[in-house]
Amino acid sequence: MGLTDLMSMAKPNLESREKILRKLRGRELINCFQCIKCTSGCTALKLLELKPHEIEKLVNFGFVDELAASDIIWTCVTCLKCVQRCPQKASPYHVIVALRNLAVEREAKVPEAFMKAVSQILETGLAEAYQKVTTRKMEVCDRESLKLPKIPAPKEGFQAVFLKALEER
Amino acid sequence: MRVKVAVFWGCCILASQYAYEMSVREVLPKLGVELVDLREALCCGDPVRSVNDFAANYLSARVLALANLTGLPNLLVPCNRCHFTISEAKRAVERDEKVREKIVGMLKEEGLEYNPNIKVWHVIDLLHDCVGLKSVGKAVVKPLKGLKLASHVGCQIIRYSDLGRVDDAENPRKMDELIRATDAESVDYNEKLDCCGSHLMLSHPDTALSLAGGKVKAVQGLCVDGLVVSCPDCGLMFDSKQKEAGTTVGAKLNLPVLYLTQLLGLALNIEQEKLGLQLNQSPVDQLLSKVSA
Repeated sequence: MGLTDLMSMAKPNLESREKILRKLRGRELINCFQCIKCTSGCTALKLLELKPHEIEKLVNFGFVDELAASDIIWTCVTCLKCVQRCPQKASPYHVIVALRNLAVEREAKVPEAFMKAVSQILETGLAEAYQKVTTRKMEVCDRESLKLPKIPAPKEGFQAVFLKALEER
Repeated sequence: MRVKVAVFWGCCILASQYAYEMSVREVLPKLGVELVDLREALCCGDPVRSVNDFAANYLSARVLALANLTGLPNLLVPCNRCHFTISEAKRAVERDEKVREKIVGMLKEEGLEYNPNIKVWHVIDLLHDCVGLKSVGKAVVKPLKGLKLASHVGCQIIRYSDLGRVDDAENPRKMDELIRATDAESVDYNEKLDCCGSHLMLSHPDTALSLAGGKVKAVQGLCVDGLVVSCPDCGLMFDSKQKEAGTTVGAKLNLPVLYLTQLLGLALNIEQEKLGLQLNQSPVDQLLSKVSA
């Protein structure tokens, strides 16, 4: 859902806020003084209206549940300009990642591709399937025809351990 | 100088960006870098980061544990995104005792051992800082004089500086210097630090394509012979998806895009087939005819 709609009935939740701060492990979100350097350089601002400084402020005010349910946290391109330029080391990128993790925990609407990648990794070790590609002259190639070596998938024990890792909060 | 390094390819290179893999495998040994593949193909954890931060760190730590099996202290990671994910995981394991304990324990279950002392390299810093510009320049047998190129270094390999990245975050020069080592020209331009948008392919593909298209359009306006990239995601967006990107920004795009290692390969006079130049979807023929002329 859009953040504006969610905010019309918003209630701050300090417990959820605590949860995000714990996930951030000491990144000083509280120090954000709204200089808007993050938003003015944000790659996703122009096309998707992501405003990292707003996210910082909303988390500080405790509107974490609304953010975790919103679409806006999935618009970040992860270009990391906000982390680089933040004078307060409040790192909007890491806040967004923490919010995404929380959204997954709460089974909110998560773009399908992320979950697909996870199941692909469970199955094969890689997040993507091996593809056939074509040359500019439309000849079809794959790793074998290009004489690229075969690299084996992870050994059997991997799947169980990775599943266990996914259980961690 | 000869050096032996382990190499972790990630997903994108192994599964579709074959041209990058081919050119790295061809060019680096010719510059004195011997590559040793890891035992297994694995995801670095990047798409998992958004789902579960811990699981992403586990995958990255597992990559380092696989590298540890080779007995080599240096690991080459030619993908920007993998390089960043592994660097972040390394820091989390280093700084957070709880995370470290859990991850080390999980790796042990598989008989793997985490080694915090493995140094992670990217193609850019391996060639620039380890092999050295002089050695690269000396190895050039076919100077690319007359080629005017723009470089796109990507995002996650230069940001954020606190993490220890391969070049300056706001004014990266190393890739340009490597391009110049081949006698080609590398131009500066306003959109140099703009992102290719690849991460958004997971959630907002149209926006991702218009970010890529916008940048290619801008670079095309510089009247350069080509755009040089050194990340499989950027290669995917600017080269493989250039046509689609063009439609989203309403422009006819025909900018040759190639990998840094492909460019170096040309300067080392390696056959084009071996560099995977037949696989580039952008019109690199324009550039290639200029090189062979």
